[in-house]
Amino acid sequence: MSAGNAERFKSVVSAILGVSPQEVSDDLTPDSVDTWDSLNQINLIGALEQEFGVTLAAQNLGDYMTVALLKKLLVEHGVEL
Amino acid sequence: MREHGMGEAAKMDLARANALLDEVNRQPTLARIATAARELVGHARDLAPVALRLACTSSYTFDPIKPALQLQGLRAGFALETYVGPYGQFDRELIDPASGLAQFSPQVVVLAVRLADVCPAIYESFNSLSESEGRGLLDDWFSRLESALRTFRQRSDAHVFVTDYDLPAAPALGLADRSATFSQEALIRGANDRLRQLAASMSNVHVLDYDALVARHGRATWSDRRMALYARIPVSAANYWSFAGFLVRHLRPLYGLTRKVLVLDADNTLWGGVLGDVGLDGIALGPDYPGSAFTAFQRRVLDLYHRGIVLCIASKNEPGTVQEALEKHPNMVLRPRHFAAMRVNWEPKPKNLQELADDLNLGIDSFVFMDDSDVECELMRQTLPQVLTITLPKEPAEYAAVVEALDCFDQWKISSEDRKRGELYRAEAGRKQLAAAAVDMPTFYRQLEMKVALRVNDTSQVARAAQMTNRTNQFNMHTIRYAEDDVRKFMSDSGSEVVTLALSDRFGDNGVVGLAVIRKKPHEWVLHQFLMSCRILGRTVEKAFIAWIAGRAKVAGAKELVGEFVPTAKNKPFSGFYASCGFLPGEPEGAVQRMVLSLASADVTLPDWITLEVETGLEHT
Repeated sequence: MSAGNAERFKSVVSAILGVSPQEVSDDLTPDSVDTWDSLNQINLIGALEQEFGVTLAAQNLGDYMTVALLKKLLVEHGVEL
Repeated sequence: MREHGMGEAAKMDLARANALLDEVNRQPTLARIATAARELVGHARDLAPVALRLACTSSYTFDPIKPALQLQGLRAGFALETYVGPYGQFDRELIDPASGLAQFSPQVVVLAVRLADVCPAIYESFNSLSESEGRGLLDDWFSRLESALRTFRQRSDAHVFVTDYDLPAAPALGLADRSATFSQEALIRGANDRLRQLAASMSNVHVLDYDALVARHGRATWSDRRMALYARIPVSAANYWSFAGFLVRHLRPLYGLTRKVLVLDADNTLWGGVLGDVGLDGIALGPDYPGSAFTAFQRRVLDLYHRGIVLCIASKNEPGTVQEALEKHPNMVLRPRHFAAMRVNWEPKPKNLQELADDLNLGIDSFVFMDDSDVECELMRQTLPQVLTITLPKEPAEYAAVVEALDCFDQWKISSEDRKRGELYRAEAGRKQLAAAAVDMPTFYRQLEMKVALRVNDTSQVARAAQMTNRTNQFNMHTIRYAEDDVRKFMSDSGSEVVTLALSDRFGDNGVVGLAVIRKKPHEWVLHQFLMSCRILGRTVEKAFIAWIAGRAKVAGAKELVGEFVPTAKNKPFSGFYASCGFLPGEPEGAVQRMVLSLASADVTLPDWITLEVETGLEHT
């Protein structure tokens, strides 16, 4: 289950940022990917919400995010990763 | 880190692009939209016939909608080059000649302003407003809007789409809003009426019913309040796709991308069951389910017929059986007279559709094909990807809804020509029989008893003339799309004239089927636009039209008649038309090929089989 979720997570991040799924690692941050701008930050959160059927709190939208932090946020909302 | 995309590698194939777009359309999540946009947008010019510069300026963040907009554009046939202005700066964007929007020189501008953004009190604290304060807010807004639009209009002819104002999900007075003397909903509806009046007073400004869109999807869930507050995006991510589709829907009819023909399968589409197996008495069609589902479907299709959609059948059955069912079944809604042509045989359906397109003289890209069979639909998608192929759902009760949801036939206006188009195509079948029987072409032409009515600068023809510029793709020498105001300008300008051509014959009235927009100079008359409905070609009318204009130019003292030709993907079959009328190639002007007819030697006599009647409206001296 959580292995499947990990793949889904990678595939969503890869789709929004336009990087290959293999490149989606915990180290990925807005500073390491050109396409991770404020617009795609919102798109990332929106796309992950759609994928996992969760709603994240508005205060998270503006936080500095990394792939590791996105995962942590999803886990806090009950997604097994 | 580089983006991984198709780049310039392989040329995107239309069938594959359509499959990707269908997949997004079935489940338009942000991830799917982003992936498809990355794969397809770079190939837009190869995939879509119409390139268009579209600018959006809004009172809210519009950027997130952009990928959905580009994909919906592709689905409709547009390669959109988009510009999205900084949010909230729509006044400046429209007014300032140095603004990003002005520099972009768009062909279409979407002005997406929410009343909730420019008059927030009307939405957020309505009950604290007095009536005069509420109306005052609207007055201020409309004077601001009008001045921005009028300033912009002085500089640009671009179409402007203005979204109207959505009603609140719950009015501020609750139930009492309906009976209140100062009602929030009534105030906003009044603002929408006012917006429509303002648009009607200007050229090429159109109001889009955004409120109806929001209502269709649910006022309570259209927005995601977090995103609305945090990022100023008042449309939830789940609705980006619908919003983009809504915007594109309004573009189609302005750029010749309205489809014209619906080809239907018969078994399990028009009725339940297989006619060849169960016979005429065994098919499901009538007052009770499941027959009632098919009756309901046929009624919706008949309604399409009455707005000018050409209907055809492509069915795998024994020839004659479908015709018999249409004639004899007591519960049939669609009868043989409603179909312009039928192909009932065992040939592959793509072949049949191509033949129908040739018979009707209509482009295959104006066809829609509907079938219940996945196999037939897949074959059509692979073989003729230009056709819009729709697989009917498994449940026949849903069929009617499929027709209701179609937006590919949309037009901004319906003309009387549209309403009688079905009869026109039936009359065409009679002409074909006559032609087959006639010994030679002149005999056939004389037997047709053609009457041509020409109207010069007749303002009652404005709507049809504009519509013809937007619908005609094949026999269209210059292919410039006009709004009604453009036509009016040519009519009132003493340096130009607009001539419409109506044709009738013994089989019926074809209505207005030809248009010429002429620029008159002392030395030469220029056929700036010359177009004819393909339906009536091959009866010498197009050449007679040229001869008449040439004669008129000669009488006015001109020495040359110049035809302007601009090749497009669609008008290639007619690229030799001017040459066939005796025009010789002149000096090109940019993309415009100038074909020149010397009037001294030109034959301006009309064939004896055409009876001519001329009415001049506004005559210039």
